[in-house]
Amino acid sequence: MSYSSQVGRTLDDEHRTNLALLEKVEHALTRLAYSDPAFTGLMSQFARAMEHDIERHFQFEEESLFPLMREAGDGEMADLMVEEHGVIREIACELLPLARIAAAGEMDEPQRVLLKQHALEMVERQVAHIQKETMALLPMLDDLLDQETDRELAFAYACDPALRPSR
Amino acid sequence: MTERPAPAKAPVRAALMVASRQGTRAAKTAAGAFIGGAKGRLLPASIPLRHFGAAVVFHLLAWLALAVGAANGTDFGAGLGWPLAAVHLITLGVLGMSVLGAGAQLLPVASRQAATGAYLLAAIWWLYMPGVAVLALGMGLARPAWLAAGAAACTLALLLWGLLTARNLFGARGMPGVVAHGWAALAALLVMLAAALALVSVWLGWPAAPARHTVLALHRVMAPYGFIGLFSLGLSYVLVPMFVLADSPDDRYQLASLVLLVLALASAALAALGLAPAALMALGLLAGSIAVALHLWLMARTLRQGMRRFAGPSGTLVRLGWGGLVASLVLGWVLLLQWPLPDAGLWFGLCLVGIWQMSFLLGILQRIAPFLAAMHALPGRRAPTPSALSHDGALQLHRICHIGALVLLAGAIATSNHAVMFAAACVGTVGALAFCTFFGVLLWRLRRPAAASSSASHAGIR
Repeated sequence: MSYSSQVGRTLDDEHRTNLALLEKVEHALTRLAYSDPAFTGLMSQFARAMEHDIERHFQFEEESLFPLMREAGDGEMADLMVEEHGVIREIACELLPLARIAAAGEMDEPQRVLLKQHALEMVERQVAHIQKETMALLPMLDDLLDQETDRELAFAYACDPALRPSR
Repeated sequence: MTERPAPAKAPVRAALMVASRQGTRAAKTAAGAFIGGAKGRLLPASIPLRHFGAAVVFHLLAWLALAVGAANGTDFGAGLGWPLAAVHLITLGVLGMSVLGAGAQLLPVASRQAATGAYLLAAIWWLYMPGVAVLALGMGLARPAWLAAGAAACTLALLLWGLLTARNLFGARGMPGVVAHGWAALAALLVMLAAALALVSVWLGWPAAPARHTVLALHRVMAPYGFIGLFSLGLSYVLVPMFVLADSPDDRYQLASLVLLVLALASAALAALGLAPAALMALGLLAGSIAVALHLWLMARTLRQGMRRFAGPSGTLVRLGWGGLVASLVLGWVLLLQWPLPDAGLWFGLCLVGIWQMSFLLGILQRIAPFLAAMHALPGRRAPTPSALSHDGALQLHRICHIGALVLLAGAIATSNHAVMFAAACVGTVGALAFCTFFGVLLWRLRRPAAASSSASHAGIR
């Protein structure tokens, strides 16, 4: 996939980073021991992504992009994305405390079951959501954003402290 | 943070037109239009699911028919009998039924049209499903009258479905590659049906019936490579990019592959009718080989550029299917050049129907059935995800049994041993039962309240 808008390229980069992380999480949940340092490190990274990056990404889309989509007559698609953001946030609320416990290496058996259950659901829902955004939303941005708006939004997204990615 | 996959380099194409308040504008990818607009373009769940369900049951019956044939010592190619019934339970029952259901749902969604004709599709199913059953019984029990009755019902059902699909294709916007594959498949369907009816007239012993070998050759080309093959290849340009998150291949390449396929089919058809058979069959095979090479190159590039891996049982079966397609063409050359390979015709049939078409279709079916079902799930706090409706264990078992059964079938051909054929049928039956379990679980979970099905299924059944 390649996009001509800066915003599209930025969001696509984040999607790719997130997909790589989700793939590692999915793999780790089925293959690694929960006490493995690689697992605890990955859970720490996963928790950080849920806490900061996902919210920041969603907030930007909801505040800056979806209104433009609605104006252009693509409200149905925007509503679908918002609905999916809501579900992913809901799962993140349930999953984040468990991911933090896993990152600290202090999980008991019931928590492990819950972690796996919620994390696998999170992986699948995020992948499906990224799939929709990649194939339907991001290509749309090339038409929705003129050059100036694109530059302004990309700059604001990169500079706003509230929207700055955690590293 | 983490290593990032290499960015894809394929240009995004303007493929579809999307109606918006600002007028009509381009939607950039076929798969994007599919995913973004699918929910509003769905047929009632009962329509695709009844077709998929019947295909799953016919899959089981096909292996059972083969077991009966093997137990009775019947060979493939021995005329009417249970092996021939098994082949038609697969081609008409599994492949045909799935194409009817998938085509009716996927083509309108992908071409951005309202999915209409639900009542007609239900009626078609009620005509086609018993038609296949009666035809298979007629073949198995060697009763030409039953065979003729079943064939008549299937023909009528396929013609009605063809009319509905033609209407869909006529109104399609964008996606010229997929739409052109659809038209070519419909043309192949007409030739295939004509050849099939001519074959029935041969079985009925009508005096005016054409020469058996002529219509059989035509039927053997137009059914697998024409009707089923063209639809499979065309829909791959939508489905595979969607599975792996990639652009659809360039329309020009899709159309180039299609032109070569049509040339191949036309040449093979004329050769079957006796017009310069050696030269035209060679031309057809050459054109078909290049077309398939181009198609598989496009698929390989799509997989390479995709942001997700095409893994799991589905990915294995689809890749196995592609291998079978190549092997069938290699065996086509072996047959044409009359190389001394014992039972070359049987090897060709195994690669064509067993390895290519059955593996490919079952691989695709296990992805699209949960995908479509998830869109129809009962509303709730969290609608179930496709994998929450699926059953990974059953699919893993099916994959093992499917591959095992194909290996045993190859062993049966190599040794001409009925016991090995019976063992293949038994292993295939276990695999088919596993696939039935997958589909049954999907239907059961579809009816559960959303939150329950979603959380329970992610607890470890993936």
